[in-house]
Amino acid sequence: MTADGQLPRWEVFKQDSSTKAHAAVGSVHAADAEHALLMARSVFARRPSAVSMWLAPQWAVHQYTREQLAEGFAAPSEQLAVPARYLVFLKTSDRRSMAAYEHRGEVVASSTTAALRAAVPDEPPLGVWLVEAAAVIATDTADAEPWFAPATEKRYKQQSEYAVSVKRHPAAREES
Amino acid sequence: MTLTPELKAALVERLTAFADDELVLGHRQAGWTGHAPLLEEDIAMANVAQDEIGHAVAWFELRAELDGSDPDRLAFFRAADDYRSAWLSEQPRGDWAFTMLRQYLFDAYEAELLARLSGSSHRPLADTATKLAREELFHLRHSRLWVERLAHGTEESRSRLVSAVTVAWPLMPQLLAPLPQDAALEAAKLTYSSRDLEQSVLAATRAELVGHGIALPPFAPVPAGNPRAQRTEHLAPMLAVMQSVARADADAQAW
Repeated sequence: MTADGQLPRWEVFKQDSSTKAHAAVGSVHAADAEHALLMARSVFARRPSAVSMWLAPQWAVHQYTREQLAEGFAAPSEQLAVPARYLVFLKTSDRRSMAAYEHRGEVVASSTTAALRAAVPDEPPLGVWLVEAAAVIATDTADAEPWFAPATEKRYKQQSEYAVSVKRHPAAREES
Repeated sequence: MTLTPELKAALVERLTAFADDELVLGHRQAGWTGHAPLLEEDIAMANVAQDEIGHAVAWFELRAELDGSDPDRLAFFRAADDYRSAWLSEQPRGDWAFTMLRQYLFDAYEAELLARLSGSSHRPLADTATKLAREELFHLRHSRLWVERLAHGTEESRSRLVSAVTVAWPLMPQLLAPLPQDAALEAAKLTYSSRDLEQSVLAATRAELVGHGIALPPFAPVPAGNPRAQRTEHLAPMLAVMQSVARADADAQAW
């Protein structure tokens, strides 16, 4: 539990198909890595299509808005003895709120400041997330079938598919 | 293959027991919707409950192919005495420890059951089992995770798990006991060896619980004759609520 009484928070990145990038879909609170994976599957992949999910604990996700990027470049950050791998997620459009941050590659750097400089393209994006790769957990490819395949056979039913007959209450009829 | 009338009747009984186990358990677990200890678990348990009820529908539909019965009528207009659910399914919802332990025991049973049924000589049965098995693997991982964490969490979580074991474990043999006509299904390779299934499920679940240092109580005796003939006192009150909407207008043309 964290100080506010919540279980630790994990950011969830879902890949919809093998040709698409992993994208941030939201977060779950969970006790540990395995619990987080199970919760993410239940919350984010029961119906929508998915082939893989990555999760990162909140502390390993460094988030910058476009306004914060300039500060981020300048801010002193801890120099790592051994360079670390960071997964880079960029937000380039305001139009899709649910899949705003998409995986665009990775950088190896000895500080988050250096990683940020390496990660940000010339045309500044709307936001950048740097995720410490060492902290990322992923669904097992062996799990893909039992975890994600059942969703493809479930279908939403629009309300209109149910033949609902609405009877008006006699009292309501008199008033009208 | 064409089923003899005897095999057909035996399979109808078997499918009814499968369906009732899942329908009753699904309804019990659905009692957590809106009440679970974490929002994420609330969603996860609602998913599990829906899956189990979906599996009940699958078994009822297989039965319908054999005898033309109507799954909705079987679920909502059958008296408690005519249900064939296991005592383990019928127990009240209980606390989170009981919920997860019961789900674990049932998932461990279903994993072994469905693996065997997917080799059935009755093709529709084999196909359904193969489809349901995928979801059960996910259920089993979820419920086993909780059993482990409850066993090694706090003093309270462990004592609640131990209390749950004293209620649930004794009911395992009744869940696993063959129906009187199961031997005929087994001989025709429609189903599996009941003895082998029972031994595998008990070995796996015993190893898991004993591995967490949980002492297991003795089994409750299995009734002679049909082990599924008698209901616990818990089922009728549950059905009174579950069936009330359907029975409010039994001849409704549409809902």
